[in-house]
Amino acid sequence: MSTASALEGLYPFLHGRPKDALLEHTALLESVRRKSADSLAAKERFYREHAEDVVACAHTLAAVYAAGGRLFAMGNGGSSCDASHFCVEFQHPVTAGRPALPAMNLSMDMAMFSAVCNDVGVRHVFARQLKAHARKGDGLVGFSTSGNSENLMQAFAIARDLGLRTIGFAGGDGGAMLRSGLLEHCLVVDTDSIHRVQEVHVSLYHILWDLTHTLLADQRGATKGTDHAVR
Amino acid sequence: MQYVDEFRDPQKARALVHQIDALLERIPTARNRPLQIMEFCGGHTHTIFRYGLEQMLPKRIEMVHGPGCPVCVLPMGRVDDCIAIAQRPEVIFTTFGDAMRVPGSQKSLLQAKADGADVRMVYSPLDALDLARRNPDREVVFFALGFETTMPATALTVQQAEREGIRNFSLFCNHITTIPTIKAILDSPDMQIDGFLAPGHVCMVVGEAPFGFVARDYHRPIVITGFEPLDILQSLWMVIRQMAEGRCAVENQYARVVPAAGNPPGLKAINDVFELRAFFEWRGLGSIDHSGVRMRSKYAAFDAEHKFAVPNLRIADPKSCQCGEVLKGNIRPWECKVYGAPCSPETPLGALMVSSEGACAAYYNYGQQPRRMQTDARMAAHLETTR
Repeated sequence: MSTASALEGLYPFLHGRPKDALLEHTALLESVRRKSADSLAAKERFYREHAEDVVACAHTLAAVYAAGGRLFAMGNGGSSCDASHFCVEFQHPVTAGRPALPAMNLSMDMAMFSAVCNDVGVRHVFARQLKAHARKGDGLVGFSTSGNSENLMQAFAIARDLGLRTIGFAGGDGGAMLRSGLLEHCLVVDTDSIHRVQEVHVSLYHILWDLTHTLLADQRGATKGTDHAVR
Repeated sequence: MQYVDEFRDPQKARALVHQIDALLERIPTARNRPLQIMEFCGGHTHTIFRYGLEQMLPKRIEMVHGPGCPVCVLPMGRVDDCIAIAQRPEVIFTTFGDAMRVPGSQKSLLQAKADGADVRMVYSPLDALDLARRNPDREVVFFALGFETTMPATALTVQQAEREGIRNFSLFCNHITTIPTIKAILDSPDMQIDGFLAPGHVCMVVGEAPFGFVARDYHRPIVITGFEPLDILQSLWMVIRQMAEGRCAVENQYARVVPAAGNPPGLKAINDVFELRAFFEWRGLGSIDHSGVRMRSKYAAFDAEHKFAVPNLRIADPKSCQCGEVLKGNIRPWECKVYGAPCSPETPLGALMVSSEGACAAYYNYGQQPRRMQTDARMAAHLETTR
């Protein structure tokens, strides 16, 4: 075998040779099997260890709404999408008989977002909006796969000063969200895989939304007369 | 030059830095931003930190530390597979020492050894083959790990085992290749690297030709580089000289070791024993096409993946570390959001923190302040002011 053909065997793409489709397909199938198993295992582990904490968070959210408060949610990147999704669940309930509840994703105002980023820095984007909108007794939920997002931590510090009820969805070792002591609840998905963390977060906020409405159903009479629809 | 001290001569180093600085004057880009030069190989990274080269260089050059440490980039899933094999009672699992502490999802090989697995350190695959000769009632598995540099030795050992008819010896093959990874870095849309120092030991096997695409297709200068401080400074001078002269080529600074054609018998052995995988998962970088090899079916009797039915490849999951951004030169190691905590040399998450040759580990070990300390200090200051 010549050196040239040996190198072509080692680096086929340098010589324009296509991939082996069968080889790739087999490897992809195995990858699907392993990833889905990982995803299921992460969920099972989390709920086995944190079911009580999830119920406690639901009580906190129910208390916010029962008292006429509003919910704010925040996150960066994919976690921002989760914050948005969480808010949609409350504003646009898909189950009959459940009221729409006020929830605001703090990433949605691009003008405000870019202004703060440009003028003072991304660390302040959520904190400044909270100062403008939040009132004592409102709720704040933050999503961070590392638990270390500085802009979330700034907002949680402001939330403490304003008297907000706070919940964090984190991953890894919980990061600053867990260590800081600023949060009322911090639910940590114990894996370093961003995807696995976010997959658990999605199921978690769906469950949390459901539990919150279940708790509110028993309190409808007590919340009559508030300016949003827990009735 | 004859002796290693001559490759570490401070006067010559200062003279080279002075010449690099003079060449930079002729490069317009260097007036607007620092030029980013990537050393791919972890051995280069180690030399740069050990001898303080980064501090010597003009501010207009920024070194970007590449993924060239095969121990660092081994994914957790493969370490888990190693441990599954090592825990079988009939197995003697052999490995190079630096792979002992690479973390799997549950434990490292060192921890598996502490738990009773028969894991032994060797200095060469031939040592493992010798163990197989001396323990015919046991299955000896060698953890084959490394870039193209170490593939010939592994391949020749398998050929030797076949010739001798030693059937209780096998490889758990995790060899990976450098070229597809350099291409993956170059294909990144926000890639900012201006030039490369190519890995000298890899080139000793594959020669100069495989790196030609870097200059030809991506228009970046690349210089094959040795591992002493003056090797690295001279290579940087050669890269900068190409840029100053407006050309891109593969040049060989390490000609005392690297022949232009590489090592043809070594390449022949590689091709006889190994074939490409569709893709291989790199810790911190994800799946890269054609960046790993496995054993050909004719050597299945020596393939631990075949012999022990270990789990197959898996595509990487992105971790909370930002190794990819560090590798592309977009952020510095200490700017990663998990640098220092939870990612540290004791509990590495990312590729670059795993071994002493990883860029993040080098920064961490040579006295850089962990980010967590900075973050906590900022947070403490903030909480102080808002109380």
